[in-house]
Amino acid sequence: MTPTKSTPHRPDRLALILLAPLLVFLVVFFLVPLGEVMWMSITEPSFGFGHYGKVLLDPHYRRVVLDTLGTSLMVTTVCVLLAYPLAYVTAQIGGTIGAVLLMLVAMSFWTSFLVRTYAWMIILGNRGPVSELLKATGWDPPPLMLFTRFSSTVALTHILLPIMVMALYAVMRKIDLNIMKAAASLGATPFSAFRNIYFPLSAPGIVSGSTIVFVLCIGFYVTPVLIGSPREQMISGMIGAQIEEFLAFGEASAMAMVLLVVTVAILAVYHRFFGLDKLWG
Amino acid sequence: MRPTMILLGIAVAVFVALPIFIVLPMSFSTSPSLAFPPPGYWLGHYAHFFRDPTWTGPLINSFIVAAGTTLLTMLLVTPAAFTMTRHDFRGKSAINVLLLTPVIVPHIVIAVGYFTYFAKLGLLQTYLGVILAHTCLTSPLAFLTVSAGLKGLDRNYERAAQSLGAPPIVAFFVVTLPVLRAAFLVSALLAFVHSFDETTVALFISGRDVATLPKRMFDAIRLQADPVLSVAATLLFGVVLAVFAASFLRKFFKAGVSR
Repeated sequence: MTPTKSTPHRPDRLALILLAPLLVFLVVFFLVPLGEVMWMSITEPSFGFGHYGKVLLDPHYRRVVLDTLGTSLMVTTVCVLLAYPLAYVTAQIGGTIGAVLLMLVAMSFWTSFLVRTYAWMIILGNRGPVSELLKATGWDPPPLMLFTRFSSTVALTHILLPIMVMALYAVMRKIDLNIMKAAASLGATPFSAFRNIYFPLSAPGIVSGSTIVFVLCIGFYVTPVLIGSPREQMISGMIGAQIEEFLAFGEASAMAMVLLVVTVAILAVYHRFFGLDKLWG
Repeated sequence: MRPTMILLGIAVAVFVALPIFIVLPMSFSTSPSLAFPPPGYWLGHYAHFFRDPTWTGPLINSFIVAAGTTLLTMLLVTPAAFTMTRHDFRGKSAINVLLLTPVIVPHIVIAVGYFTYFAKLGLLQTYLGVILAHTCLTSPLAFLTVSAGLKGLDRNYERAAQSLGAPPIVAFFVVTLPVLRAAFLVSALLAFVHSFDETTVALFISGRDVATLPKRMFDAIRLQADPVLSVAATLLFGVVLAVFAASFLRKFFKAGVSR
């Protein structure tokens, strides 16, 4: 019979044995390949920091980086603007309508990125419903929407929107609505009560939702590659192309490291002010 | 609340859900291109999908990879979650960071690493390679879910079992596992779905031999406008739709009964 003498403050040997497999696994199959990327960025094909110089200074690469940040900022902003009213209504109304709205959001969230990307290919395609509608209103021939920055922005917004709604809802549902009633009883108009009380209370949701969406967006591979503009690639698409088409591992790795550093920097700033544990609700 | 606000909220919810439904009619369309609305309807694409080994193969591969990933993830994550929730030690916060790194690193970044690292290890285009990579990616969420369950567990249940003579491992299977059934199920389901849907890493390491369904779909979208693709999309969306419809009907039915 094994006595349970493990006090909650010091691990015994058993506790370490239980933890070890996952740690070893992640070191061998995650940290080592990640280190490999770092290593390749300065040694492939020969040792030096030339790739970083190129990625950071070459106007072509700089435009890719700026395009990525610009698109991600746009997607994040539109996500906040769209998600806020939906999360607000859902959190306030509750009941059957609230449950149905949440369910629609969750349903979209659980549907594969590829399926949602494909849906936008149909919708924005040159024989899709939007084109037909524009033709019917006299815009003939309709503008090319697919394979542009517009289509990738729309699809990314749609794909990341559920995450933003969930981040906002998680915060809004904890706001005590009696505070709003108190404000009203003290003579605040609904708008000033919203602006001075509800909005500041919901702001942490905006910050964490925007952080998640922005970080996911700058690293998103599938959607921009499939329906974005081939001429205005995002960083991740560029990394993939360097490997698949040119076998340029050094450049691809340097770009990957830049992407990783930007991602970690954003999360580090968030962590400094809010704590990363809050990011996951 | 003002009705305009409610309408705005509903409009956004429609924007979130409605576009996905367009894949359903497309899978029955007789048009060889992506014309919408479809000129006619038939089941030909479905027959094609299930007869074509270049589609059924990846479908089966995805099930194998997702099942292997789920099993390995749970085997690694569950014991670790016990130690991390029940013990305090030096370096714990560093280990916490390590455990969560796979959600922080963009998939394309680690995909580059796997592409060369797994080539050296001979793991490219193997089930094992994809399962190992996916297990890294699914472990943080599974770990968080199991940990959340363990934190909420009253340890006196296990203590009672052990004071009655059950070794810890027996206490785990007889007491902890059944009590935390929901947390373990959710965690395993997250791992399964995440692995089944994962595209970026699978694109670079699964190759032709063990191509997963998302890789096959990605290639179909990129190389040619293959209408059979809409069948795969409909099947994936159909599963989600069925699960949500079932849970909605159950709630609706329950609410009706209690009234």
